[in-house]
Amino acid sequence: MSRDLKVGLFIGCTVVILIAALLYLATGKGVFEQTHTFTLSSRSGDGFAAGMPVVFSGFDIGKVAALELNDEGLVLIKIKIPDRHVKWIRSDSSFILYRPLIGSAQIVVSTVNLKSPPLAENQIPQVSIVNDINDAIARIEPVLEKVAQIAEHAERLTRNLSDPKGDLNRVLGNAEKITTNLASKKSLAEMAISDEESLRSLNDSLKKLKDITNNVDRLLIKVDKMADRTDEQLYGSEGALPQANVILKDMIGKLQKLDKTIDNINTISSDASAGTRDFEILRSDIDDLVDSLTDIVKKMEGLIGTRKNPEFKAP
Amino acid sequence: MISFWENLGHRATMLFLAFADTIAFSGRVFLRIFQRKTYSSAMREVLVNQIYFTSVQILPVFLLVSIVFGSLLIGIVFTLLKQFGLTDFIGHVLMGLIVTELAPFLTVLLITLRSSAAINTEMAVMKVNREIKTLETFRIDVIDYLLAPRVINGIISIVLLSSLCSIVLLVSGILFSRLIFGMGMDVYSKILLISTNFSDIVIALVKCGIFGFFITLIPIRFGLRASHELTSIPVAVSRGMVNVFSAILIIEVLSLVTKLF
Repeated sequence: MSRDLKVGLFIGCTVVILIAALLYLATGKGVFEQTHTFTLSSRSGDGFAAGMPVVFSGFDIGKVAALELNDEGLVLIKIKIPDRHVKWIRSDSSFILYRPLIGSAQIVVSTVNLKSPPLAENQIPQVSIVNDINDAIARIEPVLEKVAQIAEHAERLTRNLSDPKGDLNRVLGNAEKITTNLASKKSLAEMAISDEESLRSLNDSLKKLKDITNNVDRLLIKVDKMADRTDEQLYGSEGALPQANVILKDMIGKLQKLDKTIDNINTISSDASAGTRDFEILRSDIDDLVDSLTDIVKKMEGLIGTRKNPEFKAP
Repeated sequence: MISFWENLGHRATMLFLAFADTIAFSGRVFLRIFQRKTYSSAMREVLVNQIYFTSVQILPVFLLVSIVFGSLLIGIVFTLLKQFGLTDFIGHVLMGLIVTELAPFLTVLLITLRSSAAINTEMAVMKVNREIKTLETFRIDVIDYLLAPRVINGIISIVLLSSLCSIVLLVSGILFSRLIFGMGMDVYSKILLISTNFSDIVIALVKCGIFGFFITLIPIRFGLRASHELTSIPVAVSRGMVNVFSAILIIEVLSLVTKLF
């Protein structure tokens, strides 16, 4: 292959690839597409710019082509919409200039009724303005006032700090005095009491307190040992509590036996009670018998008293 | 003290004169490019040879470097975008940073390192060997025969190779957007379409043309400044290359400033 051919192929192929890529981009961007120009109006041109996107439902459907000022002082905004997007621009469409706090401004198109007639190219709807920046400034203003107040307070504080007779400097002076005093004393207690006799008494008291604490410690050790022993005597294998436990178990066994005896006694008692009731009947029978006998005796006495030889024949 | 200021003033004047001289020389060469008589058969042969050496011969290596470096770069950038939750900006980063900024920059660096240094040395050697003088003796226009083909080659090579590099990067982007974001081809192309500004592409292409113009013109200029001694060759080459890299940075900054407006 000759050098000329190689160079020709290189240039030809690369140019073809480059042109194909550019054509693909141009077609995709709608460069060869027919566009419709609509005119919008606004009282102010502030915020508008050529090339600004026109957005419908979050999608770019066109851009601002030009800005003009008419004889009445109104700003005319020419927007170019490609043929495939012109269906979103209707006669009842509203146009809003949206200026977000962050990001570029855009004209937002909203159409309530997509079946309404298309917007005529000679019709000039007005653009409403939504300004996030102004809203943000309105919201920030009170915050800024507070910040100014805080700054004023901070300034007052720094002024107080820089003033040698200020509160803080006085506090610092006192602190310095205290630290100097502390540095010249042997201890904090010495600084607090300042009387040497009292300090000595305090030291003696503290020593005694230490002795007392030692004694108490020793006592506590003894008590601890005693407690151990008591514990052993009470709870050990030969301790009082296990033995008492055995006795109690024995007592429970005996009481159970006693329960049976008492039951028997109860039975006997009820039998005796029944017997007693029989005795009463028997007694009444005996009483009746005695009474009968008495009657008989009386009758016999009557009989005997009237006769000479009283004889009584026993039945 | 006075000598210091004198020295400073002299240096500033010299710098300004050299800059003005280079601009005037650039203007002369630029105008000559658009004249029909420049394109003689000898010049066309030189042009074809220059394009062959600068672009065709380097093409396999250039494509390999573009694929490796571009894939690496796109992989890193996409991973970072995902980590920082900036997935929405993938198209803008791809078109605004990688395709229109990094691809031309990568191309111009590779071509400068390979071809500009060669042109600078070639011109210096020709000057030392009095070949330039011989051409002038035979009334052969040095600008037409030597300069114009090399400068046109620089413009064509940088524009075409940079475009190829951009396309390679975009193809790498398809692969990495699928791997990292699970993004389909349709979504990827839509994102690219939304993020593409034709003005950015035009600026990138013009920038590539300017890169190509100056990364060949400056080495020629400094090569022709060599004296007739062999020791002047490395001096001319090093000065030329330093000036080429300065020019690249200046053009890059100017293109960024242009984008701001």
